[in-house]
Amino acid sequence: MTKNYELMKGNEAIAEAALRAGCRFYAGYPITPQSEILEYMSANMADRGGTFIQGESEIASMSMLWGAAACGERVMTSSSGPGYDLKQEGISYLSSYNLPAVIIDVMRYGVGDGEITEGQDSYWIATKGGGHGDSRQIVLTPASVQECADLTYEAFDLAEKYRTVVIILSDGGISQMIEKVVLPQAKEHDKTKFDWAIKGRKKADEPKVKVTNLDRSMDYDEYDDMMRKKFVTMHDEEQRWEEFMTEDAQLIFVAYGISSRVCKSAVRYAREEGIKLGLIRPISVWPYPEKAFSNLPESCKGLVTVEMSLSSQMGPDVRLATKFRVPLYGYLTSKYVPKATELVEYCKNILAGNEKELEVL
Amino acid sequence: MAIVRKKPEMIKQQVGWCGGCGHGIIQRLIAECCEELGLAEKTIQVVDIACAYWSIDTLNVDGIAGPHGRCAAVATGIKKVYPDSNVYVHAGDGCSYVIGLSETCYAAQRNIPITMIVVNNGIFGMTGGQMCPATTLVGDKTVSSKKGRNADLTGEPFDMLSIIENYHIALAARGALYDPKHINETKRLIKKGFEYQRDKKGFSIIEILSPCPTNWKLSPVLSMEKIKNENEQIFPVKVYKDNGGDK
Repeated sequence: MTKNYELMKGNEAIAEAALRAGCRFYAGYPITPQSEILEYMSANMADRGGTFIQGESEIASMSMLWGAAACGERVMTSSSGPGYDLKQEGISYLSSYNLPAVIIDVMRYGVGDGEITEGQDSYWIATKGGGHGDSRQIVLTPASVQECADLTYEAFDLAEKYRTVVIILSDGGISQMIEKVVLPQAKEHDKTKFDWAIKGRKKADEPKVKVTNLDRSMDYDEYDDMMRKKFVTMHDEEQRWEEFMTEDAQLIFVAYGISSRVCKSAVRYAREEGIKLGLIRPISVWPYPEKAFSNLPESCKGLVTVEMSLSSQMGPDVRLATKFRVPLYGYLTSKYVPKATELVEYCKNILAGNEKELEVL
Repeated sequence: MAIVRKKPEMIKQQVGWCGGCGHGIIQRLIAECCEELGLAEKTIQVVDIACAYWSIDTLNVDGIAGPHGRCAAVATGIKKVYPDSNVYVHAGDGCSYVIGLSETCYAAQRNIPITMIVVNNGIFGMTGGQMCPATTLVGDKTVSSKKGRNADLTGEPFDMLSIIENYHIALAARGALYDPKHINETKRLIKKGFEYQRDKKGFSIIEILSPCPTNWKLSPVLSMEKIKNENEQIFPVKVYKDNGGDK
């Protein structure tokens, strides 16, 4: 039997899936723990007929992306922590003219330089960031190497469907682990198919394309109206999540990425002891999967957000999704990956009435 | 035979610049060079979101503006996707030498075959006439150096072409606009830049000493005199590097 899978790191799966999705332009700057993406692109992009550039900065890399995306090419960049901060200028500009692009943020823990190890404290900048001004980007969170490949592959289609930036919000844990992955089929992309893209081949009587920081091909109010409708459509259509043993659960974890994997183990351990836990795993964190919270089981006494951060960055989104009606607890582990056994103990304490609800938002 | 001067077809509408500004002359030279070389239909313009921006409306070619200062990086992205297009940057000295110096230098370092046309008018024009760290002359009064530029506080203007010429590029040169002779010479430099790009010889940068009567608070004629008598002393009009014949 021929094997249909590969053993890959999350970062490598992201890079290979991007190439198979037809990504033919990558520019980025090295930073741990995402450098394997850049390295993989440097080794493989030319063979697929594309361009790899190791930029002089994240800012310049984003501007190169802006140029290539404006040409209709499938483009991607990746970064982490302080490097991702520098991408905000470019995200704002890409969003202003509605240029499709895929941006990978492999979260590392901490403010400033922080640590080079996994964390989940870049949730805010990924979901509420994107630079100045009103703009929204779809943000997807893989929890396995397989999902690194699948979500990245699909991200390019989503980016073009809505003409938006799509962010893959991974973390050092998911991106550095090695797992089996079934890679998607390679496909080619036709960069000339968009009427909004610049091509540089214009007869004098053809309409020209102007790519600027506001789409001035339309009236300002018309532009605002289009943007608002786009945000609403993406919000309503692109909520994704996984439910795990929630039907009869007394407490339901809410976790994504590396933390969600530990939560799954915790649910299994707890059920061996007869404690009914469950998990809602957001896959999209913008739009936040509010629909997942609309029909919580009668048995549910509370939700427990589990995050590798100092503040509960996702907590406010859970509170909004539940309209503040469901008690919310927070298990925050900063730079340490949570332990399943400790999560079970924490839930036992909640059920015994010994834990306070999440206070600081 | 009479010399016939006709307006390039690339120029579709009135320009948006102030009276006496050099940008309009430069845009006209760019359009003439594109048409004379038969490149009009494969040209993509990259403009900075400052005074050069008006060109995106005026010229009938695909155009792109982006974050302030990032023109050379934006042009790099475009040139990689469409290597046979004529990709040029029209930007100011603030974009190219101040906030975007890194992008300019690294486009040169990679020898990306684009043509950068840098308007050196010694001032931040679009934002209302502030001092340009790279090009405002010592003593010149601006709205952010009201008593005249003080070298002790802000350093001195610097000839960036003297750095950029050291990269392995095709062309680095400076032109001026203060008389027809210099305008014609500047046009020859721009044309040479486009030719080197067409022939894949590498990166070219043409800096142009250009007047900003509005913010200099001088008449157009006196502005041209200032360039000739003062600015050119710091920023010599010359070819720094012409490597186009080498490969």
